[in-house]
Amino acid sequence: MSDAAQPTDEHVPTDDDFEPIEVFPESTEMDLRPGADNCYKCSTCDTNCPVAEVDDEFPGPKFQGPEQWRLKRQDDHDIDDSVMKCSNCMRCDHACPSEVPLSQMHNTARGEYVEKQMSKRSLEYWRNRLLSNYRTMAHLGSKVPRLTNFMMGLGVTRVFNEKVLKITSEREFPAFATETFREWWDARGGYATSRERARAAREARGEKTTAETDKRIAYFHGCYSNYNTPEVGKALVRVYEHFGYEVMVPDQRCSGTPMYANGMLGDAERAAKTNVPELAAAIEEGADVIASCTSCSMSLRQEYPELFDIDGVHEVSNNTWEGLEYLRVHEDLKGELEGTTTDLPNLAYHAPCHARNQGLDGQAIEVLSAIDGVEAHDVGDSCSGISGTYGWKAENYDTSMKIGEEMFEHMEAADATHGLTECPTCSMQMEHGTGYDILHPLEILADALLDGGETQSSSGTGPA
Amino acid sequence: MAITDDVLVIGGGLAGTVAALSAAEHGGDVRLVTYKQSTLRHATGLIDVLGYTPEGEGPLADPFDAIDALPTGHPYERVGTDAVRDALLFFDALTGDTYGGAHTDSNALVPTSNGTVKPTARYPVGTAPGLAADPADTLFVGFETLPEFDGPLAAKHLEAAGVPFETRGVTLQFPGIKRADAKVTRYAHLLDWDEAVDIGRGETGARAALAAGVSDALEGETRVGFPPILGDDNHDVVRRDLEERLGVAVFEVPAGPPSLPGMRLEDQLYHALEEAGVNVTTGVPVVDYQAGDGDRIEHVLVDRKGQQVPYAASEYVLATGGLVGKGVDSDRTHVFEPIFDCHVAHAEDRYEWFVDDAFGDHPFASYGLEVDNELRPQDANGDLEFENLRAAGAVLSGYDFAAEKSGSGVSLSTGYVAGDRAGAEVSG
Amino acid sequence: MATDTEVLVLGGGSTGCGIARDLAMRGLEVTLVERGNLTHGTTGRMHGLLHSGGRYAVSDQASARECIQEVDVLQDIAGHCIEMTGGLFVQRPEDSDEYFQKKLTGCRECDIPARVLSGAEARRIEPYLAKDVKRAIQVPDGAVDPFRLCVANAHDAERHGARIETHAEVVDLLREGDDIYGVTVRHDSGPGKRTHKTPGTTEDITADYVVNATGAWAGQIGAMADLEVAVRPSKGVMTIMNVRQVDTVINRCRPKGDADIIVPHETTAILGTTDEEVEDPDDYPEEQWEVDLMIATLAELVPILKEARTIRSFWGVRPLYEPPGTGTEDPTDITRDFFLLDHAERDGVGGMTSIVGGKLTTSRLMAEKISDHICDKLGHSASCDTADVPLPGSENLEALEDAMDEFGLRSPVARRSTQRLGSRSREVLQTTDPNPVICNCESVTRAEVQDAIAQSGSDLNAVRIRTRASMGNCQGGFCCQLLANELHPEYDEETARAAYDELFQERWKGERHALWGEQLSQAMLKYALHATTYNADGDPARTGTDVNFEAFDGGQTDTEAGPSGVVATDGGPRNRGGDQ
Repeated sequence: MSDAAQPTDEHVPTDDDFEPIEVFPESTEMDLRPGADNCYKCSTCDTNCPVAEVDDEFPGPKFQGPEQWRLKRQDDHDIDDSVMKCSNCMRCDHACPSEVPLSQMHNTARGEYVEKQMSKRSLEYWRNRLLSNYRTMAHLGSKVPRLTNFMMGLGVTRVFNEKVLKITSEREFPAFATETFREWWDARGGYATSRERARAAREARGEKTTAETDKRIAYFHGCYSNYNTPEVGKALVRVYEHFGYEVMVPDQRCSGTPMYANGMLGDAERAAKTNVPELAAAIEEGADVIASCTSCSMSLRQEYPELFDIDGVHEVSNNTWEGLEYLRVHEDLKGELEGTTTDLPNLAYHAPCHARNQGLDGQAIEVLSAIDGVEAHDVGDSCSGISGTYGWKAENYDTSMKIGEEMFEHMEAADATHGLTECPTCSMQMEHGTGYDILHPLEILADALLDGGETQSSSGTGPA
Repeated sequence: MAITDDVLVIGGGLAGTVAALSAAEHGGDVRLVTYKQSTLRHATGLIDVLGYTPEGEGPLADPFDAIDALPTGHPYERVGTDAVRDALLFFDALTGDTYGGAHTDSNALVPTSNGTVKPTARYPVGTAPGLAADPADTLFVGFETLPEFDGPLAAKHLEAAGVPFETRGVTLQFPGIKRADAKVTRYAHLLDWDEAVDIGRGETGARAALAAGVSDALEGETRVGFPPILGDDNHDVVRRDLEERLGVAVFEVPAGPPSLPGMRLEDQLYHALEEAGVNVTTGVPVVDYQAGDGDRIEHVLVDRKGQQVPYAASEYVLATGGLVGKGVDSDRTHVFEPIFDCHVAHAEDRYEWFVDDAFGDHPFASYGLEVDNELRPQDANGDLEFENLRAAGAVLSGYDFAAEKSGSGVSLSTGYVAGDRAGAEVSG
Repeated sequence: MATDTEVLVLGGGSTGCGIARDLAMRGLEVTLVERGNLTHGTTGRMHGLLHSGGRYAVSDQASARECIQEVDVLQDIAGHCIEMTGGLFVQRPEDSDEYFQKKLTGCRECDIPARVLSGAEARRIEPYLAKDVKRAIQVPDGAVDPFRLCVANAHDAERHGARIETHAEVVDLLREGDDIYGVTVRHDSGPGKRTHKTPGTTEDITADYVVNATGAWAGQIGAMADLEVAVRPSKGVMTIMNVRQVDTVINRCRPKGDADIIVPHETTAILGTTDEEVEDPDDYPEEQWEVDLMIATLAELVPILKEARTIRSFWGVRPLYEPPGTGTEDPTDITRDFFLLDHAERDGVGGMTSIVGGKLTTSRLMAEKISDHICDKLGHSASCDTADVPLPGSENLEALEDAMDEFGLRSPVARRSTQRLGSRSREVLQTTDPNPVICNCESVTRAEVQDAIAQSGSDLNAVRIRTRASMGNCQGGFCCQLLANELHPEYDEETARAAYDELFQERWKGERHALWGEQLSQAMLKYALHATTYNADGDPARTGTDVNFEAFDGGQTDTEAGPSGVVATDGGPRNRGGDQ
């Protein structure tokens, strides 16, 4: 007897029928309990948690992850509210000797908590939504950058933020660039210009110059290098073109990192539904995806496939690289840098937690040391403490600064001229805690490899 | 292009870091690739060389009395007694005055958190004042929110173990801890930074508050033992500060994971790697290898979240750990080494991997790679698996570190020898 | 020493505890003796299925009807011991349609609510079911914690004046002529709550009537008075998974066979089982193929099981019985009904009845029938209230939801603790003292452990069955010592040490059967922690080794480094601030 042959009245309960199905929620929520199988309770994750070290209200990643999941029954909805204290630095992932999917567990639990337990009318919810949708705010702000920068600096705005939104007034909002990266890119002539430049570079390098090259990348600039530090994006474009790569800049939205940290998985998924098809299309055209922000590359590589079921998500994950990493593996970067110099030789480098998770923590120093005279000091393996939007919340500010204390101290002791990191929010924290100007390794690379930047004006028109 | 060095060490625990350091002494480019954090963080930071013979005799007052008599295949037999001594000298130089025990061949007996004593050859200076051969009367302080260490019970247990001094224990509240599930790093941080804590009648520094509580409990004892939470990066400052405030010696009693003394040793080792110019890549696993000419490894493949990046070297050291560190893994029918699939001898029948007594002679406890005297893994026929691969630490077979109390000694000695040989190969 | 009681119950399983509670509530003076802990025999070694009756709906409809009635009763009186998970009889493509239809008809005939789900509907309820499952019948199966149920029964019996003696082994039946009038028991550590290392004593307990509720061991007890009770013990293996792959009881819809059920049990899922007759209920082989069979066969229903972690396996022995001369060959076919053997009627020896057969789901009903029989024998007239009066812990469970926030615990810890303690939660968990979690795997706090110690003495296995401490994925690796610590100072050091040793070895017994993959790694970590870090195996207090402490390094003494006697430095290479 097949299903179809089944009498249909079997499915229609009468009043007398026991109706146990109602105890089960009709959902396909992610069940991460099997992930707890990997945990052998060694607590290595807990000892790496920068939040648990300074705030005992946070019970640590082991409890928030495998323990909480293992204790769960299908119809339990008791995510402990302390999950909102997790800053999503993902150091626990990096620590766990047993491959427990800790950050995935945290992200999912946090999403469930925000969805089921946090009031959608609360100020906290809307504040978190505002912070995690930085791109929306930045998009508006960058339309009138000078006015916005002025407004955000006003005492009254900061008081409003602190008192009403609970966004700390201790921090200064990052200034918006007067020209976004994309504005620069478009003005420069977009992909057509890049293709020409890359071809010229390949010719100069004695490589094949035909149109059919596999030297093509799709740049995922993320929000910050678009709106706030376009010079990082420009440096990436120039460095890649120098090596003969054609740069594409697909349409894109936020990578999702700030949204995971705030449990706004819906927002993150909506953004991913733009990013994945766009990037997948670029991959289809022979490009590899390159990010300059290590949290963006982390998100595309790890969180996307863990959290979202979107066509092409695995192709994107498997073809995404961080900016320096890609060159290092595909070019003789060391050879190229030998004999070069830079005006920025004394650097205090902080490896962002998310870079650490991709095995990139030693990379910047190893690569940059090849430049003559460069002294780059690693300021240690501590967390900067800001973790994206975490340190912006008034209630987390003190914790965030406590976590950062070790890094600040090591930076000051390093006696450098500049700070160096790949992560935009770490760079805010480094600057905030020490007063250093902070650079991205790609900027140093550009400085060393290219003489005086682009021959054409950086904001000008591209070559015809 | 492969990322290329002279020596590539896989694994970042005690054996791996020591291998990288001893290889670096020869001057070549050395890289250490480590996936997740190592069992150093589970361990007590003690360097056990040999506390019991494989037959269970002990505690051994002098490990060197027994090392020569170890059976063929034991890692110490493979490297030889002199190498064990050399490795200890290397460790002593590395850790300087942060470790004790270098002045003698004798083992020390260290009180453990459950109230026994265990033999060890080197101990952190923060553990030194607690040695059981020192007949000073001792107070053990536990905390209500740290249930692993029960001071009064540990004191009574040590008495039952026959220690030559008076013991007593108390249980106190730890100042500044608000939640009963605070992590050990929280305790350490309070002391490291001497955070201000509320003591009911205003605030005071965490160290002063802790010392005040302990001071009230002292009844003439000349030393005090704490669970190992006396600071992390500032451990020695914290401990000496407490000694000054209390006027008695202060020491830590080693406990189970997560273990700050193990983490402190890890910090020291990684600092030494940085000093020695060893390239360190963390957070990504070696997943496969490419065989080259002859029986050589051409390069290994490191998985960077989906991208497989080749890392090449002339010589390789495998120090990925044992069953706990996952350098040795198993399924229902096999025990295996996951990266190079080196031969691991084990019984066919899973029910012969263990014995029925929880503390019996478990075959699984010594599963690992069989190696020649150069620490090169051998296949089932005794032939070399690869010419340019050496193995060190818990991935090796032939010893039950838990029963012998020889874990860190073997990791140290074999790491030292494997790194030294690999370094000599490339420099020579 | 001799004591007297009206009714003496032998055996602290579900039957014995149920009888003790029933009779005590009827006003009789009851003593129960058990050779181990409560549930030590078969009760503590079952898969925890609360039968809707569906499993018997084809083969044994009388039992099936009793089951569905008792499920209703237990929801009223034992809410904190059961979880109404619901159950599915799942049909795979290769399973017979005819049997599926028989099962459905059988359920209907026995008044077991049953409805048919398509494969897709079943997978919506249990996403890890195999993609190709064909259909399922949904029935009101549930899960029961046999430990909690027994303990609650025993606890309530005590509240009604009964005396419960665990670790009291019957060494002789007292028989004079044709009358059994009591037993001799050996108390492992003196009567009352167990305290390790207390010298054992022997006690004669005389009674107006003796109930032999020792299940698979009933034959051995009978033999002490030259009575033959032909129990046919049959072993079955159960394999415990580390997590719940399913939240519904999953039965294979085919005629009874090996490896056909998965029961979500507390934080775990239990796979069962086999059915194989054994000679001696205390001594039978526990074999690898049995465990492998569970995983391989049940993975046909839930494929994720193939790679999932198991934390231990255990074997139970069913007390099967059939009247002499029935001659059933396959134990699978022996009835699961129970038999009341009144030895006066059967053997002409008065004063004792033996109970054999039966199952946990209907244990209350069995106890009621047996108690009726005993009251009849004793001429005692009282009605049975056990179906109406909730067990301690199961009163007013609705009020619990609000209480959970009061205990200052993380919400999942509060949830699990109150699920275990039921209406006793406030009494146990409300404390102003620090209440750290002692067993992290199962979220058992100090307050709950202390409550269990107060009930059962220094026996950490008794604490375990009350709290689930040490029953999670590390199998006591991280909490055996912590639990022993909780015994002190109420119990002395030697007692705490003996209790640790006993729990540690008990955990290993089951863990051995799960030693591959993650659990082998876990076992090595556990071994390393207890041997390397604690040196529990080389402990001079345990081995009795006389250590010459003077022969060991006592530290360097020739320095001026202050009180510690060892040179200290300013904090190593990565020293940072804080010494202001």
